[in-house]
This record gives sequence, C-alpha cells and structure tokens, in this order.
Amino acid sequence: MTRRVVITGCSSITPVGHGRDDILAHLTRGVSGVRKLKHDDLYSKYIDAGVFGTVDYSVDYDFSRRDRKTMGPVSYYACQVAKEVLEMADPGEDFITSGRMGVAFGSTHGSPLVQRKLYQALFDDTYTGYSSIKAVDYLKFMVHTTAVNITKMFGITGRVISSSTACTTSSQSIGFGYEMIKYGMQDAMLCGGADEYDLSTVAVFDNLMACSTDFNETPHLTPRPFDRDRDGLVVGEGAGAVLLESYDSARKRGADILAEVIGFSCNNNGGDLVLPNRNGITQTIKLGLKDAAVSPDAVDFISAHATATKHGDAIEAQATGSVYGKSPMVSGLKSYTGHTMGSCGVIESIMTLYMMQEGFIAPTLNLDNVDEKCAMIQHVREIIEADIRIAGIQNFAFGGVNTCLFLKKP
Amino acid sequence: MLSVVLFFLNVNIMSTIEREQIQTEIIRIFSEQFEIENPGPDEDLRDVHGFDSIDAIELLGEIESLLKSELTRSEKKAAMEIRTIDQILDYIESLAKTRS
Repeated sequence: MTRRVVITGCSSITPVGHGRDDILAHLTRGVSGVRKLKHDDLYSKYIDAGVFGTVDYSVDYDFSRRDRKTMGPVSYYACQVAKEVLEMADPGEDFITSGRMGVAFGSTHGSPLVQRKLYQALFDDTYTGYSSIKAVDYLKFMVHTTAVNITKMFGITGRVISSSTACTTSSQSIGFGYEMIKYGMQDAMLCGGADEYDLSTVAVFDNLMACSTDFNETPHLTPRPFDRDRDGLVVGEGAGAVLLESYDSARKRGADILAEVIGFSCNNNGGDLVLPNRNGITQTIKLGLKDAAVSPDAVDFISAHATATKHGDAIEAQATGSVYGKSPMVSGLKSYTGHTMGSCGVIESIMTLYMMQEGFIAPTLNLDNVDEKCAMIQHVREIIEADIRIAGIQNFAFGGVNTCLFLKKP
Repeated sequence: MLSVVLFFLNVNIMSTIEREQIQTEIIRIFSEQFEIENPGPDEDLRDVHGFDSIDAIELLGEIESLLKSELTRSEKKAAMEIRTIDQILDYIESLAKTRS
C-alpha cells in the first residue's frame, strides 16, 4: 500500500528573485540573474571566472536571537524559505509539531563562511586560536545545519534527512521526502536545499577548468546550456523549499494542492566521481519513469540539469534523447540562475511548478546555436504557451549521483 | 572599560562601586551580545530570558578575553551552575581573587 504525495507549499530565494512573482517576471521576460563575481579578501584574485548567480537583493529576516545564534548564512536562507512554505501551506502548529512531519533539507557543505573562521583557528596555535573554536560555530557550519535549524525554529519533531550530495542535494531532499510519505513513514516532509555565496565552490570548478570565463564582462550571456559556444558553468547561490504531504492529509484539511510528486529515482554511476555518465543518466530517467508509472511520451517538459559544461550537456542530451526522443520540450533553467548547487533541484522544481500553473515554458537563455552534440532533444528557444501535465526534473552531481523527479499537474 | 575594572580586580581592590561598574558592563554585554535588556540581578536567566548553555560558553569567552587569562576546566564547569546576574558578578569576583 503506497500513498499519493502532493506539494502544498513552495518558496525560493534565487538569483532571479524571491518568491513567485519575481521569479515569473524573470522567466517570462528572459532576464538572467547572473552578475559579476564579488571580490573577497582571499582568492577571488586568482579565480578566472568573473561571474556568479547572485542574490543581489536584501531579504527581510525576522528571526529571534534564540534562532539566529545557531545560524550561518546558509541557514538564514533555509529557514526563511521554510517559514514562507509553512505560512503558505498552513498545516497548523499541532501538525507541525506532531512528529508526523519531518524535514529533508541540505546544503553542499554547510556554511563555508563560518568554516573559514575554523580553518583560520587551525593555523593559530595560541590559546586564543583554540578558544575561538565554539560549539555555536559548529552548529552554524555543520552539514545538517539547515535541516536542524528548521526543526528548532518550528518545533518539528519528525524524521530528519540531510542530504549533502552537491548538485543533487535538494532533489534528493524532495525525493527522499516523497518516499517517506509514499511508504507511510511520515505524513508530511518539509524538503529543500540551500547554499550561500561561496567562492570556494567557484575555486573548485575554476581549477577544474569547468567554469565559464568567456563572458566575464557580459554576465547575462552565460551560462549557455546546449549552445555551441557554451564554456562552462556559473556557480550561484539560493534556497528553495516545498512542503510535501500525503494526498489524503492535504485533502482532509482542505489544503491547496499545487502539484503531485508522482515519481523519483536516484542511482550512482558506479565509477568516476566527476565525469557525467550516459548509461547512468539513462538508467536514472528510466527508473524515474517506472516509479511514476508513466511512459516517455506522457512527459511534456524536462527541466534539464544543463550546467553548460561541454561534456555534461552533451551526455545529458544524448541520454535524454535516447529515452524520450524529441517528444518533451526541454529547457535548461540554470541559464537564468547559474548553478545554485545544493538548491538547484528544488529551485528548478519550483520554477517548473510555476510554469505548470501558468501554462508556459521559459526558453533556455543564450541558446543561440544548438550544439549538434545536443541536437537530439526538443529545445525550447523562445517562450511558448504549453500545458505541462507531467514534468521531469533532472539533476546530476559530483560523486556520480543522478536523480530524476516527476511532477504532475493536479 | 571592563578591562580597566578587571585590572583593579586583579589587584584585588573590590568595593561596592566597582561591583556596580562590573554590573554595568555585564548588562551592556547582555544587551549587545545576547539581546537581553536589563535583566534583573536575581532573575533566572534561562527561564526568563532563554540564556542557555551555548550563551554561557560565549559569556565565558568574553570573560576570558577581558581577564586576559584562561579559565580552568573546573572554573568553566562551575560557571554552568550560574543562573543570575548576581551569580555572574560573584563568579567574576572569585576569578579575580584567584588571579590576584
């Protein structure tokens, strides 16, 4: 006996805005959130990439000190979107604290800004250096800091899952949350991911020669998923959250159902930790379709992972084309936000949900000339009206982790 | 200012006025660091103001840097029993005496 799982609340803080109206305005007008990289006092001077998917607006936080004292920047993002989701879905305090609601929330590596302070202390062999390592700092930077700051703020007492699998962090959060409810372990899960502004991630990809560097003076022209002239990914920041509930629970309390999660798959390439793997991705898509119990031709839209690396986009297009042919429309939504790392899966799911609600598909930005190695799928190159009934959201991560989520219009 | 006061503590010159000065500084720290405004001298900091063990550790760090002296593990453990502003002042006095 399995249960249907629905989304009853969603919110995100992204390089293309905070909340539904902002994000839809960017998607419908084709406006990018990529900006010039902000310089720090450490290694920005060495980084060749000069662009970042930036949250360049202020967010009005209203958190008490009791909550703030264990939060790094990444948890500010996480708790804000969690708060907005709970306000939107309004499940009621009794339900939130009942133990029947859990949290699945993660980030790529906690709070790098706070970690930097720890690393500085590790190279200071004085007592001052030693005593600067605080319990509170650990609570701010630990890998599961987002999940447990959310549980603390809202008194959530159910299960905690804190995935930290780089680019599949929040797609796993949604997927694992979906499975928790589907198989009856929890009645609701608050799911998502967040990552703060962080140049160490940029440095990793920059040193791998995987970052875009040709458009440093024209940030809005990169990344360029599937385009002939794409030159790499653009690291970004942001957060997103969704509230998943059992269909019966949502109906019983009269909640608005925004979409249904009908399928999830996750596998590993079982080999290289960096290179994308066509067989692995193909298998993920097939496993997801099987879990969703839909045929490939029933899928109307694919949100591709599409980071705009030379190799990754080609492999994804080939794997996607081998399963779907040219049937579903495909967009690379990172062309708007850059690669928001641990939050990309949930942000792209929410963008897809908005397009499902509004009846359109936003095009892949900067897709001026489709690379022939990526030409076997149906690219969306200008905004189109479309009735998205079923959508797939694909994400792949360092470590060879692949995920595929399927959403259905209610 | 607290460091000046604690200098006097270090030479073991403690009077009512100095205790009041320390109290003023502690109240300032509570306001600026912990966003706890004007706690009463006998109020239970945990029950009334949510001052928890993490806050207590942070306060010990403040006291260490102001004393320019490391606290021993037993001194730190003793601080975990502190519940009121008055007890904090007593604690600082006792630290000063052992270092005079």
